[in-house]
Amino acid sequence: MIDLLLEPFAYNYMTKAIWVSALVGAVCAFLSCYLILKGWSLMGDALSHSVVPGVAIAYLAGLPYALGAFTSGIIAALGITAVKRLTMLREDAVIGLVFTSFFAAGLLIVSINPTAVNVNTIIFGNILAIADEDVLQVVIIAAVSLAILGLRWKDIMLAFFDESHARSVGLNPDGLRVLFFVLLSACIVAALQTVGAVLVIAMVVTPGATAYLLTDRFGRMIWIAMAVGAGTSALGAYVSYFVDGATGGLIVVLQTAVFLLAFVFAPKHGRLAAWRASSHVAMGPKP
Amino acid sequence: MTGLYAIIADPLVHSFMQRGLVVAVLVGTICALLSCYLVLKGWSLMGDAVSHAVLPGIVVAHVLSLPLIAGAFAAGLSCALATGYLKHHSRIREDAVMGIIFSGMFALGLVMMLKVETDMHLNHILFGNMLGVTWRDVIETALIAVPATAVVLAKRRDLLLYCFDEAHARALGLPVGALHYGLLILLSLTIVVSIKAVGIILVVAMLIAPGAIAFLLTRHFERMLIIAVIAAVLACVIGTIASYHLDAATGPCIVVVQALFFLTGLGWNLARRTNRRAGAGLETGTNII
Repeated sequence: MIDLLLEPFAYNYMTKAIWVSALVGAVCAFLSCYLILKGWSLMGDALSHSVVPGVAIAYLAGLPYALGAFTSGIIAALGITAVKRLTMLREDAVIGLVFTSFFAAGLLIVSINPTAVNVNTIIFGNILAIADEDVLQVVIIAAVSLAILGLRWKDIMLAFFDESHARSVGLNPDGLRVLFFVLLSACIVAALQTVGAVLVIAMVVTPGATAYLLTDRFGRMIWIAMAVGAGTSALGAYVSYFVDGATGGLIVVLQTAVFLLAFVFAPKHGRLAAWRASSHVAMGPKP
Repeated sequence: MTGLYAIIADPLVHSFMQRGLVVAVLVGTICALLSCYLVLKGWSLMGDAVSHAVLPGIVVAHVLSLPLIAGAFAAGLSCALATGYLKHHSRIREDAVMGIIFSGMFALGLVMMLKVETDMHLNHILFGNMLGVTWRDVIETALIAVPATAVVLAKRRDLLLYCFDEAHARALGLPVGALHYGLLILLSLTIVVSIKAVGIILVVAMLIAPGAIAFLLTRHFERMLIIAVIAAVLACVIGTIASYHLDAATGPCIVVVQALFFLTGLGWNLARRTNRRAGAGLETGTNII
């Protein structure tokens, strides 16, 4: 039994998949805390779909995939800003329009050159077969992002949630916002490897939402989210050994399950606590 | 001229192209009508969510050998209902809840597919297989798409009032709850019938782009519906024929053509605005944006 459970660790590609997934899960979870509180969940989805044409072109041209993904993500973000400024369309419609168009363009490029790029790798990720140079890219992205976030997390929080205060203490909110979106795009590019374009949204939303149900303090929220993100990602990669694949799917299923547990059992904001509170009210105050 | 004629007529010789086009037009029409409402109501993400959430329903229906459409519909609708429940009972914003639920359901579908021996092709569910539909599929599509189109057209004013101003609709005595769930049901049905044509990943585009294009070109709602349908059907026809000549996937071609339409519409809109401003001969920027 123990032997069976330890079996994945005997394989180099499995241990690599587990720690790379955990790393990506932790960074994405860090960012998710901000996205959840700012109401920017849709941006995560939009960026992850928008990078697909860049990835396809980068593969065709033999460039580093991160470069292509990053460029096309930035172009999409600029496109969203431009269309929003030029029309009276609602923001969600503009974001949806731009990211689906980019995504379709990417799929079109892939379908014309089916041999050069494997569409399923982009859409679902393939962490079990990640190449060493891709591991290097992911590790650099994750390490740099974690370092910057670790140093500036309070500044970013202040800039996002109390802009005038941030200005008064000499911070530059616009610069920090740009910094944040650059980090987000970079981490989404890294997350593509583990869960793929379609499921990245879970990586940058679910851990933060789970943590938000469990605590009222931002610093603690970040720690909880990172623990959830890293734990579910590592466990998902580990379990995928036994079911032969679908690493991304397993990671996201685990994250959703943890979220639902928090939704029911969270000590203060969970459903059980709410039911208990309402039954107390129904019985009236005790003498 | 004969060259152009040949470009259009050549693909139509094949019966699979004819069937594909019929399906594209049926699906394009109902998606375009709904997109006008979704764009106005701010429900663009709802289409995204429901379309991804149908995957586990399809797998379960396959295992129980039920009609796939029934499973997909049930899953799509339960995603919308679960989102509503979680939003009302937690302090998490609606967009985040929606993202959590639909990505979770989609992931569940992917994991379930691993363990189900199936003749279903995952890529066909994801990207559609418009050129592989049979006449039976065409009839099934028509059986859902035509009544759905009729319902939207018959109720177009009530739906409009509901999407634009819910409080006003309630004050006028419209059944707001019924309209809310009616729209959700129509949305789920539309996504379900669109799976064969464009797949669950790109149906979102069909549910946003036509409405957005029409929104650029007119301020009159009935006209917006007509323009959206024309744009969608044209994009479907052009995209399908282009995919034949490029030997590319059909769904992405259609969506890219729609995106080009949108860019054209945007250019036209800007040019008209500049003309008007020049004609007025003074700065009128205030009321335009």
